[in-house]
Order: sequence, then C-alpha cells, then structure tokens
Amino acid sequence: MREILDEVERWREAGEKVVVATVVATRRSAPRPVGTSLAVSESGKMCGSVSGGCVESDVVEHAMAVMQSGEAKLLSYGITDEMAWGVGLPCGGEIDVFVEPVE
Amino acid sequence: MSLFARLAELNTSGERGVLFTVVEGDGIGGKELVLESGERVGGGVPAEAMVEFDDLVRRGRNRLLALDGGTRVFVEWYGPPPRIFVYGAVDTAESLCRAAKLLGWTTIVGDARGMFLTPERMPSADVLIQKWPEEAVAELAPDHQTAVVVLTHDDKFDEPALKAALASEAFYVGALGSRKTTERRRARLLEAGVSEEQLARIMGPCGLDIGADTQEETAVAILAEIVAVRSGRGGGPLRESKKRIHVEVA
Repeated sequence: MREILDEVERWREAGEKVVVATVVATRRSAPRPVGTSLAVSESGKMCGSVSGGCVESDVVEHAMAVMQSGEAKLLSYGITDEMAWGVGLPCGGEIDVFVEPVE
Repeated sequence: MSLFARLAELNTSGERGVLFTVVEGDGIGGKELVLESGERVGGGVPAEAMVEFDDLVRRGRNRLLALDGGTRVFVEWYGPPPRIFVYGAVDTAESLCRAAKLLGWTTIVGDARGMFLTPERMPSADVLIQKWPEEAVAELAPDHQTAVVVLTHDDKFDEPALKAALASEAFYVGALGSRKTTERRRARLLEAGVSEEQLARIMGPCGLDIGADTQEETAVAILAEIVAVRSGRGGGPLRESKKRIHVEVA
C-alpha cells in the first residue's frame, strides 16, 4: 500500500472518498507481490495495480460497491474451468485481494 | 491525524513499523499501525496478531498471519530501504554500491584512507565515512536492516571492521578474501576474543558461487547472497528449488 499513499492523500485532501484494494495472499505464481495496492477514488481516478491487468476491472467494480456500503471485503481470484474465459490469472496463480474504504 | 495520513508520513520519515489489517473473520477491516518507537494508531486488531511484532519488523517483509478461529491478519511492513555498508573503498565497493542502488538500497562506504575514499571513486555511495573501522561502524550503527561487507584486503582494517560489525545487529556480515586469508582471519579473530558463534555469522569468502570474474560480477555475487540471507534462502537455481518462487507469505 506504500506506493499509493501519497496519491491517496492528495485525493482525500481534494475531498474525495477512496477505496484501496491490496494483494494480501498469493498462491503459486502471481504477477504482483503481497502488499501491492490499487486505489480508486469516488470520481473514478485510479492508481497502482493488483495484477498485470488481469483482474483490475473486476476489482474496480467491487471497489465502487465498497465505496457505497463502507464495508471491507476479501476477494479471491484464480483460474477455474468456469473462469478460464472470465476474470482470472493466466499465469495459473491465485491471489486474494482485500478491498477496504479509507477512513 | 488519520491512520492513512500517518502512513503516508512513514514513506519519508524513515520510521519502522508494521500495519496490521484484519482481512478475514471477526472484526474484518480492523486496522492498527504499531511503530518500533511504541506508537500505536488505529485499533480493532486482536492482540494475538502482534505477539511476534519484533520478528515481523525484523523480517522486513509483508505477510499474512492465520490466527485461531479463521481470522486472518495482513501484515504490511513499513520502513526505510535496507542499508549496505562497505568498509574499504576499493573498486568492488563502487560496483557493489551501484548494484545495491538498483535495488533502491542506501549505500555507505567507509575507509580511513582519504585518498581512496573520494566521491569521484565512489559515485554510487550515498554517504562516505572517512574513519577507522571501529569509529566508522559506531557512526553507522548497523541495525537489523543493515548489511556490512568488509573489502579492504588489509588485516589491520578488516579485522577491527569485522569485530565491530559482529558486535552489531547487522543481518549480514561478509568479507572478501581467499580461503587462505579467511582461515588466517578466523584464527586471529578467535585470538582477539570473538566467539565461535559470532564467527559463524561471517560470510567469508562472501558471495554466491556464480563464477564471478570481474568487479561487477563479484558485486552481483555478493549482493545476491545478501538478498538470499535477508530472505532466508540458500541462493541456488529456482529450477532445483522445491520451495515456492516468492518468499513465503504465511
């Protein structure tokens, strides 16, 4: 989360609500190490990443929902048969992403 | 001040600490920052997660903790980049600093000989300390995020530098030198009152066995060993490793 903190503070100073998604666990191969974050602002600004681009759009949708509800949640991504053409990681790894509102 | 504003401060303040976040189970979303100074910001994290704070702050890595009852707590490490301190302003010192800058580390070179220790010879060093080994090590105060490499090739500098480094918390203490030099140094340090246990900490001759020939290759061999020690890995080929590729996180 360190890499996005400065940007998040700028958004917050501008009066925006912010949600942060952080990779908290990886199994097998994974594109980003644990601790890497993607931040999303109320107006749709983004910075950082949680994968090489494979799951970002889905994470952003969840982030917007968390922005509304104010309740943190844990997401898991991996490759399954059903997901092979949906949201997943082509490298065959699995990641857990924690999505939380910035208080 | 909010927790996030305090976190943003840590990127420049150089303070070390750990941010605990409950990511699964009871109290999901609980967040507490614990600094080495003892300062705490936030709350809602089970005390059980913080029992190993000292170890977590020393490891310098992010990880996920699994507590009893299915609660999982994410640990994010905060602190300045590791430091590498090279005693002996020889060519390899510059190569080692240049390689360490690539990792974003802070580089410091010490030497008592002002003729060797110049910014022109050591352009990749962030700090130069022109002092005798004991004083240079005392000024630097190596901690658990500091690697010390001794490169002077001169017993009268190398030995006191190693002795001082071994008395510190440095996570890596390395010394260059042939096997013959290493054996002689060992005998002399024992004589100087350094214990066998302390001597075992010295990586000497330092560096991984990659057939390094040039200064730059030697620097890569040493730096790779330093990273391996910091991660608790042996440093062999990944193809032959049974462990997972990335450092364990849980």
